[in-house]
Amino acid sequence: MEDMDKVFRAVNWNKPDNDYVLMFWEQNIKQFWIDTEYIPSKDMDSWKGLSYEMKEAYKKALGGLTLLDTLQSHTGMPKIIDHVESLQNKAVLSYMCMMEAIHAKSYSTIFTTVSSSNEINDVFSWVKNNKFLQKKANVIDSFYRGVDKPNPTDEDLFMALGASVLLESFLFYSGFFLPLWLCGQGQMVASADIIKKIVADESIHGIFVGLIAQDVFQKLPNKEEVKAKYLEVLHDLFENEMKYTEEVYTEIGLTSEVKEYVRYNANKALMNMGFDPVFEVKQVNPIVLNGLNTETTQHDFFSKKSTNYEKALEIVHLKDEDFKMDIAVEV
Amino acid sequence: MIAKDVAKSWILLNNEIMIKKDDEFSLEKDKEAVRAYFLEYVNKNTVFFYTLKEKIDYLIENDYYIDFYQWFTFEEIEKVYDHVMGKKFRFQSFMSAFKFFQSYALRDDSGQKFLERYEDRVVAVALFLARDEGIDRAIEYTEAFINQEYQPATPTFLNAGKKRSGELVSCFLDEIGDSLNGIGYAVDSAMKLSSIGGGVAFNISKIRARGEAIKGVDGRAGGVLPIMKILEDTFSYANQLGQRPGAGAVYLNIFHADMDEFLDCKKINVDEKLRIKSLSIGVVIPDKFMELAEKDEVCYLFYPHTVMTEYGKYMDDMDMDEMYEELVNNPNIKKRKVNARHLLVRIAQTQKESGYPYIFYKDNTNKVHPLNGVGQVKFSNLCTEIMQVSEVSDIESYGEEDTIRYGISCNLGSLNIATVMDNKRVKEAVKTAMRALTVVTDVSNISMVPSIAKANRELHSVGLGAMNLHGYLAKSFIMYESVEALDFANTFFMMVNYYSLEASMEIARERKKTFVGFEKSAYADGTYFNQYLEKDFSPTTDKVKELFEGIAIPTQEDWNNLKQQVQEHGIYHAYRMAIAPNQSTSYIMNSTASVMPIVDTIEVREYGDSTTYYPMPYLTNDNFFYFKSAYDMDQMKVLKLVSVIQRHIDQGVSTILHTNSKDSTRDLAKYYIYAHKVGLKSLYYTRTRKSSIEECVSCSA
Repeated sequence: MEDMDKVFRAVNWNKPDNDYVLMFWEQNIKQFWIDTEYIPSKDMDSWKGLSYEMKEAYKKALGGLTLLDTLQSHTGMPKIIDHVESLQNKAVLSYMCMMEAIHAKSYSTIFTTVSSSNEINDVFSWVKNNKFLQKKANVIDSFYRGVDKPNPTDEDLFMALGASVLLESFLFYSGFFLPLWLCGQGQMVASADIIKKIVADESIHGIFVGLIAQDVFQKLPNKEEVKAKYLEVLHDLFENEMKYTEEVYTEIGLTSEVKEYVRYNANKALMNMGFDPVFEVKQVNPIVLNGLNTETTQHDFFSKKSTNYEKALEIVHLKDEDFKMDIAVEV
Repeated sequence: MIAKDVAKSWILLNNEIMIKKDDEFSLEKDKEAVRAYFLEYVNKNTVFFYTLKEKIDYLIENDYYIDFYQWFTFEEIEKVYDHVMGKKFRFQSFMSAFKFFQSYALRDDSGQKFLERYEDRVVAVALFLARDEGIDRAIEYTEAFINQEYQPATPTFLNAGKKRSGELVSCFLDEIGDSLNGIGYAVDSAMKLSSIGGGVAFNISKIRARGEAIKGVDGRAGGVLPIMKILEDTFSYANQLGQRPGAGAVYLNIFHADMDEFLDCKKINVDEKLRIKSLSIGVVIPDKFMELAEKDEVCYLFYPHTVMTEYGKYMDDMDMDEMYEELVNNPNIKKRKVNARHLLVRIAQTQKESGYPYIFYKDNTNKVHPLNGVGQVKFSNLCTEIMQVSEVSDIESYGEEDTIRYGISCNLGSLNIATVMDNKRVKEAVKTAMRALTVVTDVSNISMVPSIAKANRELHSVGLGAMNLHGYLAKSFIMYESVEALDFANTFFMMVNYYSLEASMEIARERKKTFVGFEKSAYADGTYFNQYLEKDFSPTTDKVKELFEGIAIPTQEDWNNLKQQVQEHGIYHAYRMAIAPNQSTSYIMNSTASVMPIVDTIEVREYGDSTTYYPMPYLTNDNFFYFKSAYDMDQMKVLKLVSVIQRHIDQGVSTILHTNSKDSTRDLAKYYIYAHKVGLKSLYYTRTRKSSIEECVSCSA
């Protein structure tokens, strides 16, 4: 009954725990969205026009993404939350956890719109049986399980956080490539709106978890050793990712471009962890790179939904002086 | 190799603009993209004809073109072609070429092969418009088109001359009466107008609010939301042969009791039955509301059916300055209390989250409405630039006679400010434009919606607008937010007003026919001309005087003469000008859109079917500084410039607010207050630039 003596703290937002948590809290909330805001049914004609091979690749890419978001929302985030010290960081992570669940569902929103139930079942059984995808999930999961005990070491925690960054900033992108690439060519554009929302979320998730990981890293006595171990995991996953890419993309002839893109994002993951990039990257396909730019774009409200608007967090009211304005015009 | 079949070299080249070398964008890639697009796609997919005769005959015989030989000989058509081909037109930007071939060029029935180039489209539109006036007029039109001085709006430029096509008119508006017959008429009209390619807007302010009585039994009415839901589905069903998605807007008076749920419909976490995804919404704001907000007095929203029952008149048709106190004090009028300032902030919040609602300042509009003797303007359209008189029709049951009153129809076109100024052809371009717009009203007869047909038949409304304001200012080394910009706009749009009025008077004089109700207008009694007789609108700054060198500017005396001629002969068009957002057509013209500032030096443009990078026209390393983004501008200065333009525009100016995520609801609400005070008639979307998290991290670090 010793547990009964544990002291519980309430999260106190009166004073920020660090200089970034509040900003990430606000940014996360601003970015809130749900899948049903979007209208993937507009892509029905585009979908019908795609070749069989392209459709297969698209479904596999999305199936793979669904698996990763499932892992992240069901295991990754909850395990990390258990051991991160700052209660405010915990709060941000639980919000992110909820968004991951929305992500995992939103791929289904696309599937459900364009594919038959049989096809969808096929994709999910492909996910279950694909050895590269399963390996990816297993490696990451093993680090999440590494903190699944009462008092994990800082090193365990660092590796779990680092695994999460690999997932968010690196391993998703072989899947994101195809929807972004097709969108740049004017195909599956409405569904890409959903994908872009996910990309925008994953990008802040990766940065945030990376910052926490860097805090933990500073506390480690054996920094170089742990870093080497981390890089080894990265390279292992990288080799696996190359094979996964070949399996999904070879038939449509995009393998080498996706690999370049995977290298580019592996570097990004390292930078989020505060490490130097290790892969040489020449030229990433600009269509996909531009598609990644999550800043504001121009759009025509009549032909598509905007991905630019965000929740208004703070309501500021008008005062008397707001009505007293200089309305003189010089000409 | 499947990806290769989808991948397109020109799209890759166009994307490569964004690669930075030595801190500069690779702008030259855009020209390479145009070249690749022609060599690898357009040329390979264009049907080849040995002679012009062969082409024209083929297009007519195979039902692509209307039979131009009814009006012109082949030799005449050839002469028009020679004139156009002699101009050696080249697209200046990938975006221009891509947009033209993607959306405007005629294709064969398989949809695979092009039958037209830009020059062909220009000739076909010109021949169509000049069919009753002969070859010289056709050449006059082609001159304005191929010089890119005047651009008809999409429905006209897309459809004119084609045998199987939609209508040439851009825009339709109508009222909805508060009865099942009225609502049925609106839904029926929505479907028909949407299918012929028009943007449609409805005023739903007359509909009884949720919970009001039906046949005297309280609590039965569903309010405006269910009607919006039906309209939204109607528009998405009825598109133009799948080419353009149907689009519609609804406007609601701010004093309507359903205002809260009307604004909430754009929230994402709202019940599916109440959520409106694709229908645009606008709020009608009378002066009285702004006054209540300014004085911070209690504001009441009213249940419109109780007003109708008490006074036999729609609340929406009432002058709220006059009637507000009366409605507040009358115990038979059901009402509820709100805080006006909070409601403005609610609008701001909704705009921050969705870009909606539009705002229509009803009394700002009617204070200067030249047709007040005929009736009032109640609401605006899908792009908030059309502002015309309307009155609800009485729709009866089968077998009884309907009473049809004015709906609104408007066809649009835009001047390219840069080319008309450079070519010193402001007067000529405006007059040509007015002729072209007039033909469109003459040949249009939307008989399936009688209220729209009546308005067109009697009022001949057109909307001449403008584009490329920021492009022209920037290439002339004038900052958009400067006094010179105000000075330029003040003179330029005065001239557009002058020449469009003169053209309208000339057409009335030729035909001995004015719009119906001219004698009740401010043109007939001469008060319309007061501002021009009291004040000279010539440029006052040296820089702008220089720009107008070699261009005759109408003087106060000219205005006085014009007034007399208008009073003598009348004018043909009840409405002449409206500044549309002209999104698509500005790309073809290699222009900056409308009179709005640019959003970026290289605009990232998302359409339903593609993403394209569009470097701003005339952008070079020398003038980079003048291409300031709208998001970095003081919005008050943008609104001030619009207020100067608005002085000279009888209808409205589509005005977009550009805000950043950090702008508060209070900041936005202040823009509404300022816009109202400087006399703007409407506000269109609010666009928001997101801050990226990288930016935030670097700020906080």
